[in-house]
Amino acid sequence: MTMKTLQASLSRRLLLAGGASWLAGCTTAAQKAPAAAAPGTVTMPFVNGERRLAVYPEKRPLIVITSRPPQLETPFEVFNDGLLTPNDAFFVRYHNAGIPTEIDGDKHVIQIGGNAVGKPYTLTMQQLKSGFKPVELVAVKQCSGNSRGFFNPRVQGGQSGNGTMGNARWLGVPLKDILARAEVKNSARQVTFNGLDTGVLGGGDFVKALEVAHAMDGEVMVAWQMNGADLPFLNGYPVALVVPGYYGTYWVKHLSDIQVIDNVFNGFWMNPAYRVPDNLCVCVPPGTAPSATRPIGRYNVRSFITSLKDGDRVAAGQALSVRGIAFDGGLGIREVGWSADGGKTWREAQLGSDSAGRYSFREFSFGFVPAAGTHDLRVRAWNRKGDSQPMEALWQPTGYMRNVVESYKVTGA
Amino acid sequence: MKQTRTLVAATVAALLLASGGTLHAKSIVLPPDGVQMTPSNLPGYAKARAECVQCHSAEYMLMQPPTAPRAYWEAMVKRMRDVFKAPVQEADIPALVDYLTKTYGAEKPR
Repeated sequence: MTMKTLQASLSRRLLLAGGASWLAGCTTAAQKAPAAAAPGTVTMPFVNGERRLAVYPEKRPLIVITSRPPQLETPFEVFNDGLLTPNDAFFVRYHNAGIPTEIDGDKHVIQIGGNAVGKPYTLTMQQLKSGFKPVELVAVKQCSGNSRGFFNPRVQGGQSGNGTMGNARWLGVPLKDILARAEVKNSARQVTFNGLDTGVLGGGDFVKALEVAHAMDGEVMVAWQMNGADLPFLNGYPVALVVPGYYGTYWVKHLSDIQVIDNVFNGFWMNPAYRVPDNLCVCVPPGTAPSATRPIGRYNVRSFITSLKDGDRVAAGQALSVRGIAFDGGLGIREVGWSADGGKTWREAQLGSDSAGRYSFREFSFGFVPAAGTHDLRVRAWNRKGDSQPMEALWQPTGYMRNVVESYKVTGA
Repeated sequence: MKQTRTLVAATVAALLLASGGTLHAKSIVLPPDGVQMTPSNLPGYAKARAECVQCHSAEYMLMQPPTAPRAYWEAMVKRMRDVFKAPVQEADIPALVDYLTKTYGAEKPR
C-alpha cells in the first residue's frame, strides 16, 4: 500500500468512525474550516441570484444552482485558501438525474471498443491502477458556463457565478496508453466517452467526443484520484476523464465506456449542445445568433482577485496586499497586470511559482496603498502566446467562455 | 451543521459496512429538492408538476433570468420531449409554455 492509498484508506476509516476529518487524505489541499458556518443562503450579484447553500455527500455546504441533478458551485472565497481546491469544496455539475447511488470501485470496469479498434477489451480498475505507468497532473477544471449569470444581456441556462471551476492534482493513466492496447486503426477519427449516469426517461444520455489526435496526445488521462484521495462520488467516483485545458464538459464522470470510431459523433451533447461561435473572437454581437458553430474547446485566459471582493472596504493610507489566481488553456500564464484606476494605468503583478505546471491556477500578488475613496481594481492576464482578456465582455447566446477583465470596486476609508 | 455532516457520513458509511469490508464500495443518498414548482391557477401548472419535475428540480425554471422569453420556454419543453423523452403531449404544450413564461419568464407579472 502506497502512502497515498494509506491516507485515502485512513480517511475512509475516520469517516466510518463518524469523524469530521473529511480531508485526512487530502494533505495537499487547503485545510481551512468550511467557509460557511452553516447551510444558509447567498445572493449572487445578478438579478434573480438568490441561492441556497446545502450539504451533499462528501461535500461541505456549497451553493445550489440546481438540487436535482446536482449543480453545486464553490463559494468564491475558497479560491483564496490555496491553489488546490479541496475535494469537499470542488464544484459538481451533472446533466441528468439518473445518477448511480451505489458503486463498487473495485468491481467497476471500463469497456474499450468501437469500430476503429482491433482489440476491444474490458479494463478493470485493478488493471487500470497497476497495469500502466500512472501520471500526476495539476489541472483546472472549469464549466463551459462558468460565470453565465454575469452575461449582459442575460442568457438562459445554468446561472453560475464564478465558482464553477476548481484546480486539483489528478492521478491517473494517459488515455493514449489505454487505447494503445486496443490497437487503434488508421480509420479512427473520434473517441467517445460515456459514464454510468443516464437520463431519467432514457433520453439525453451524456456522451462526449474528442478528436482521436487529441485523445492520443498523452495528456488526456483516465483518473481515479484528485488531491491524493479517491474522487468524491459526485465528481465521478471511481474514475473520470481528465482533459487538461479543456472545458469541464469533456471530463466525463463515472467513466464506463470508451469507443474509438471512424466517424464524427453527433449526439445531443456534442451537437447542438456545447457549441460556440466558429469565429476568431468566439463571440457574436449581443442578442444575435452565430452563423456557424464548433464544439467548445480550450479555456481562454482568466484572472481573479481572491483576497478582496467587489464592494469591500479597506484601510485608507495603509499598505494593502492583494492576491489572486490566473489560468489559461495550457500554454501557461506569462504576465498579470493590475490597475487601481479602472484600467487607465497598469503595473505588473508578481507571479507565484509555476511549479504546479501550465494547467494549474497560477498565483499572483501585488501591493499598494489605497487613498481614501473608491478604487476600481482590475487584473488582466496574458498567456505565453500573448492571448489576454477583453476589457469589455464578449457575448455568445449560450453563455460560455466569459473571460472579461474583472472589476473590484474597493473603498478606502 | 456538524449534525448534518455526521448524518451524511453515516449514509456513506452504511454501504461500507454492508459490503463486508470492501473499502471501495460507496453509496450515497442525495438530499431532496430544495424548491418546488411555483403554484399557479394557470392550467399548465398541474401538467408541469406532473411532467417537468420527473427529471429535474424546479430551480431549472426558477433561476432563469426574468427576461427569458416565451420562445425559450417553448424550445425547452420541446427539447425535453424530443431529447429527454419526456411524455409531453402536443396538445399540452401551449398550456405548459404559458405557465412557464408567466411564472418564471418574461411575462411574469412584476
